[in-house]
Amino acid sequence: MPSPFSINGGACVAMVGKDCVAIACDLRLGLQALTVSNNFPKIFQYGDHVFLGLTGLATDVTTVSDLFRYKVNMYRLREERHIAPRTFANLVSSSLYERRFGPWFVSPVVAGLEPKTGKPFICGFDSIGCIDFAKDFIVSGTATDQLFGMCESLWEPDLGPDELFETISQALLNAVDRDALSGWGAHVYIIEKDKVTKRLLKGRQD
Amino acid sequence: MADRYSFSLTTFSPSGKLVQIEYALNAVNQGVTALGIKATNGIVLATEKKSSTPLADPSSLSKISLITPNIGMVYSGMGPDYRVLVDRARKVSHTNYKRIYNEYPPTRILVQDVARVMQEATQSGGVRPYGVSLLVAGWDEGILPEEEEVQPGKEGQEQKPPGENKSKLAGKTGGILKGGPMLYQVDPSGSYFPWKATAIGKSAATAKTFLEKRYTEGLELEDAVHIALLTLKETIEGEMNGETIEIGIVGPPADHLLGVEGVEGAVGPRFRKLTPQEIEDYLTNL
Amino acid sequence: MRGPTILKATDDKTRQLNDHTLLAFSGEPGDTVQFAEYIQANSQLYSMRNESELSPSALAHFVRGELASSLRSRNPYSVNLLLGGVDPITNKPSLYWLDYLASLAKVPYAAHGYAQYYCLSLLDKHHNPNISLEEGLRLLKLCSDELKRRLPIDFKGLAVKAVTKDGIKAMPFDEDDKVVRDT
Repeated sequence: MPSPFSINGGACVAMVGKDCVAIACDLRLGLQALTVSNNFPKIFQYGDHVFLGLTGLATDVTTVSDLFRYKVNMYRLREERHIAPRTFANLVSSSLYERRFGPWFVSPVVAGLEPKTGKPFICGFDSIGCIDFAKDFIVSGTATDQLFGMCESLWEPDLGPDELFETISQALLNAVDRDALSGWGAHVYIIEKDKVTKRLLKGRQD
Repeated sequence: MADRYSFSLTTFSPSGKLVQIEYALNAVNQGVTALGIKATNGIVLATEKKSSTPLADPSSLSKISLITPNIGMVYSGMGPDYRVLVDRARKVSHTNYKRIYNEYPPTRILVQDVARVMQEATQSGGVRPYGVSLLVAGWDEGILPEEEEVQPGKEGQEQKPPGENKSKLAGKTGGILKGGPMLYQVDPSGSYFPWKATAIGKSAATAKTFLEKRYTEGLELEDAVHIALLTLKETIEGEMNGETIEIGIVGPPADHLLGVEGVEGAVGPRFRKLTPQEIEDYLTNL
Repeated sequence: MRGPTILKATDDKTRQLNDHTLLAFSGEPGDTVQFAEYIQANSQLYSMRNESELSPSALAHFVRGELASSLRSRNPYSVNLLLGGVDPITNKPSLYWLDYLASLAKVPYAAHGYAQYYCLSLLDKHHNPNISLEEGLRLLKLCSDELKRRLPIDFKGLAVKAVTKDGIKAMPFDEDDKVVRDT
């Protein structure tokens, strides 16, 4: 059980809706079976419509999120514009592959809206940067199996923002309840063209 | 031993000038004239292809170069220095950008990268400044100038000052979401300037006066090519034909240069050089 | 401890980083003191250079950065840390939990090692966000008693220090203890 990906636990999921996307994560930080904190968010914002979810080894979640904060800030200063989700995804990919032979133990998820068209964009990565583009949903973390099951059964095309919130919340909450290493509350972001809504779900605290 | 005494050759004179850079500019000002004109839907780069002997094969000589599919470059000054810069520009557009973001750099970013290369040559040990000025022309994805005009109108009733609207679009850093044609000049010192139309080289002054007279806002690419040839005609020393003139344009995507058909999402290069035949056609219509 | 032998029963496993911040540590002997004193020295250097103190949050993130770069070096420190402090400007107390992997969490209460398994459930039950220092010390006594009762080794008790907005002071704790503390 000493896989770096499952020491601290955690789960993340992103979904596409109609003219909107959603991304959600749990809040647990643990050491194997012991829970240390129930306030460890795994979603980070890098622009008006660009979000990154990171599960895996907690130390690398922090390091990698800080690294991209630096890279995205430098991008914005250099180019005088916000980074687009697709561009950001490629930055994530190349940055992870840079560490091909000593990787960050994280499984990133990118969610956002493309700037000009407003089209939903989501994708996931393995720890060395291989991109998994998806039209429906992306899952990552220790509750991956459960999340796949929940998403496959709950998700449908063209969900509006409110329906999408309900769908992603139920998918995450019910998935983490069947995983000992994730749960303890959740953050849910609903990203629309001119509005981003962040909600805190209390969830089961056991 | 040589590396122990590798000091910069470009040093300040007592009056505060860097004479090496001024000499480099002199080299540029003896070079063959090159010019660039920005239109609403593209850019034209043009120069004279001078050969000292009738025995030279003009088709092998190329002074306008493609850097990325949407960016091209022309120079005035020393040919060999230019070729080094073209190599570097092509290289940095990949190492500093495409290999990181999987897309090609916007024109200004590429210009800054090339300008850095040229600036470093004014401060590093054991090197001399590049003896060229460049005209870099490119097309950036983003909000086109005409679309920018439409956007405040769409919002309707509330008329906000344009600055306020732009900052809402661009976010914290102000920002150029600006797309469309971009034309820059880069000098041996590493300074760069955006232009609507300009010329560099031997007859730059004459050409610029001419351009000032002929340039109008809202110019189309076809007109720009026309004006470019007229300007060149003013300054040219030899005969003007498809062999002695070189023209590069940034225009609509040239899908016929893609080499394939039916690939979804594939867009052709916007930058391309005109063939001698195309140039001849323009010249006959002059 | 060296194997089964106790070498010292009153070893202070804390270092004061500045007037309002205290760092407690456990882990590989040698690494712990070396790392803690490195952090202490850098914190004090900052205070001398800038005539002001780093906040507990700033120090926690500094420590995390050092530990994170150590983690991927040739021989990383194995040190687990608790960092407690009172922000000199806002007067807000805060506690940070860091393990040797440089995982950082801001928590209301924390422990490292076996103490986590014995104490966290007690703390879950009895801690509240507005707990006073006196109540806190009483809760700590519950924890200490539990450790004495449950740990298979001869537990030598706790050294207790309190960080308040007025500074750091050692607290009298468990004075009537029957166990011989000094060897």
